Amino acid sequence: MNSHGAAHFGTYVFKPVNLLNSLDEGVTSVTGNVLRVEGHVQNEIMHSEASQMQAISRFGKLKPSLLLQYIIPLVLIFLAFNSVSNEKQTGRLKLLVLQGAKPLQIVLSKTVSVWLYGILLLTFVLAVYSILMFQSLTLEILLRTGLFFLSYTLYYFIISAITVYFSARWQNATLALTSMLGIWIIWTIFLPNILMSSAEKWHPLPSRNQFQSAMKEDRAKGLDGHNPADERSLALEEMVLKEYGVDDLSELPINFDGMRMQADEEYGNSVWDKHFGNNRKILAKQKQSFQLGGIVNPFISLKNSSMGYMASDNFHHQEFLLQVENYRRVFIKMLNDKQTFGGSKTGNWGWTEDNSFFRSVPDFDYKPTQISSVFSNYLFDLGALMLWSIAVFFLILFGTRKLQIV
Amino acid sequence: MRILSIFLYEWKHFIRSPFKIVALLLFVVASIYGLYNGADLYKQQSAEIERLNQKAKEDKETTLSYFDNNEKGPEDRPWVDVTTPFWSIWYTPTYHFKAPSPTIVYNIGQTEQYGFYKEINIYSSPYDADMAKEIANPERIQSGTLDFSFVVLFLMPLLLLVLLYNIKGLEAEQGFLPLVFVQTGSKNWWILSRAVFYTLLVLFVLFGVILYGATLTKVFEANNTAFWAILKDITIYLLFWVVIYFLILKYGKNIISNTLQMIGIWLLITFIIPAAIHQWVSIEKPTNLMTDLIDAKRDKTDEIYEMSDEETDKQLFELYPGLKKTEIALDPLYIEEARSDSRVALVNRAMKTTISKIEEENRTKNELISSTYWFSPLTYFQNKLNHSSKTHYDDYQAYRNNIQNLVDKRTKIMIFDIWNNVKVNKRKYLEYNKRIRLSHK
Repeated sequence: MNSHGAAHFGTYVFKPVNLLNSLDEGVTSVTGNVLRVEGHVQNEIMHSEASQMQAISRFGKLKPSLLLQYIIPLVLIFLAFNSVSNEKQTGRLKLLVLQGAKPLQIVLSKTVSVWLYGILLLTFVLAVYSILMFQSLTLEILLRTGLFFLSYTLYYFIISAITVYFSARWQNATLALTSMLGIWIIWTIFLPNILMSSAEKWHPLPSRNQFQSAMKEDRAKGLDGHNPADERSLALEEMVLKEYGVDDLSELPINFDGMRMQADEEYGNSVWDKHFGNNRKILAKQKQSFQLGGIVNPFISLKNSSMGYMASDNFHHQEFLLQVENYRRVFIKMLNDKQTFGGSKTGNWGWTEDNSFFRSVPDFDYKPTQISSVFSNYLFDLGALMLWSIAVFFLILFGTRKLQIV
Repeated sequence: MRILSIFLYEWKHFIRSPFKIVALLLFVVASIYGLYNGADLYKQQSAEIERLNQKAKEDKETTLSYFDNNEKGPEDRPWVDVTTPFWSIWYTPTYHFKAPSPTIVYNIGQTEQYGFYKEINIYSSPYDADMAKEIANPERIQSGTLDFSFVVLFLMPLLLLVLLYNIKGLEAEQGFLPLVFVQTGSKNWWILSRAVFYTLLVLFVLFGVILYGATLTKVFEANNTAFWAILKDITIYLLFWVVIYFLILKYGKNIISNTLQMIGIWLLITFIIPAAIHQWVSIEKPTNLMTDLIDAKRDKTDEIYEMSDEETDKQLFELYPGLKKTEIALDPLYIEEARSDSRVALVNRAMKTTISKIEEENRTKNELISSTYWFSPLTYFQNKLNHSSKTHYDDYQAYRNNIQNLVDKRTKIMIFDIWNNVKVNKRKYLEYNKRIRLSHK
């Protein structure tokens, strides 16, 4: 096969599923799995799982993240909503205070005991995961899982503490329960959806047609590798002839067609970088806006951290796409260089390379993104969860001073 | 106690309960927000389609100018000759759209999983790279758009929960439940009447909101029946939840246990069952990585292009028996070029065979999901709404089928005209535009 023919023939890259995805699938099911790598064009990833069937669940599969993010916090609310009010109603709270216990100590100990249930369930999930994946565990996975654990423990503390606080402040357990359910609904169902949709409106992405038209327009300003009569192609030709000190392409010791293809490719790369780069910037802005939502809603910080630490958020997806694009550039350059310097002459499209050359082209080797290089992206989320935890602690500290014992 | 008295009592109870009023207001706000999200998508897609139609019109005018000026094609593409069927059809702009239904205002459904326009040429397939979905933030798609159907399917049961949770429980806890029963005569009738009051209240609000949504995308002008179908489905879904909550209230003892049961059932129906089904389906029928399609696109195409002339002719005549009698088929001088241009039809046939296998696999996956409807009402109602708003997988399947039909038609016209040695002029070019567009539904 001719090496430029091979560039058109291209290859395919399949998005790998990593071990961490089994805890939180993140965006995996909606992003597609197959990416065609070929000359002249940077393709988009295709064939998502969600596009291959009718709708099932809006909240994804029954993965640990679904249980840990949605169900366990509810369990904690159910455990905590009458923890103090029940003591009040039965008169035990008065008894405890008479025996020397301070209201703050009671509320804090109730919080910790409920929180421990959450940690226990979380630990159980992670222990099962570790046992099942024991042979594949690496330091990177352990580190990421540790941060995942930390995020959830902070969130569970916030949920447990607020519920116990409500239970202590309000006479009525029903009021504590309904208030917490209201908060849970607003935090987990309402706000993330509204904020994410709004972030997309604040920083709009171009439509596919606008995006492609803009790239096509920019691309048309550059060299066309398939058109020898193209002005920029003629200029390059002149330059190369001068460089080699010859008057005609047939006198060149190299194949100018390959050189022209690579020049076309390099111009194209600058166009892809501009437009795909612009999209990545917009996506980053959307993410930042969404992350800011963590100030009013710790669930948003939890969701971001969970996907991020499990390497399944959009940031990691973009990293994967970048690696594929870098591979594409190396792959196509190898083919173009072979056409240029592999022994054929300009215009000899019938020249073919043997299989040993094609076998020497390296396969795509995905290097999973290391947490150390992306940790800063999730600092805000982790910080927000910590701040929420501290704020809730102070709420208990000051709020329980005037606690009614009966 | 007459039903009217119960309703009046309940109305007083409702307006004195800020918690319930706030919940209802939040529901209305979320509904309107959801409607606007749907309407925005409708407007965006409609504008995009309009823009592409305009572009197609301009492309057509450009090609017509080649005929008017006796030119073969664009100046920088000297190899183009629009007087040949191949290039003339190549320059016949054909877009196929999945035009959004105005009812998308209520339910975005699976719209964001697919592309909604496709520029068709003889090499096209319904699974091309340009069939990718619109550019969007995957994290937003993953968490789902807050459209009206989301509000109805997930938040409406919660609103109903807030409105109903303390029925009977409050009276029981305050100790005057026996008195109420004495006054009303029937415990069930009293609980049911109160539940019916809130059902009517929610239904009234929903009807108002749905009606408002209809004005955003002119639903009535486009499809009257879809509106009523959606209203019917939403009403049935509401009644489904009312029945569940009524049973909990009827047999429940106090507010807390009733609330816990209600939220538990809500979690089960809206989260756990659909998520478990999703997990099960993905294990039973894993994601197709489309390797068969890739093989067909590459290996099969190579095989076709490497076939002997006799085998190519045999397969072409098998596919289009009419070709045998054409002018070119009897002319050994020109048959080579015609054969070369016609191989694309054999590639198209090979692709179709592979695609049918993929779609059969998807069909069995969908059957598997449909078989869970009886115990997953949320999945059932979601897909019912998707059907009504033309945003279901099946609607996109129909869209893909249309694309394939257009490719088939285009290829057939081109091949027959090549083999009949047709010389294209302006009239013929306009005829191509008309013939290919005729099948464009």
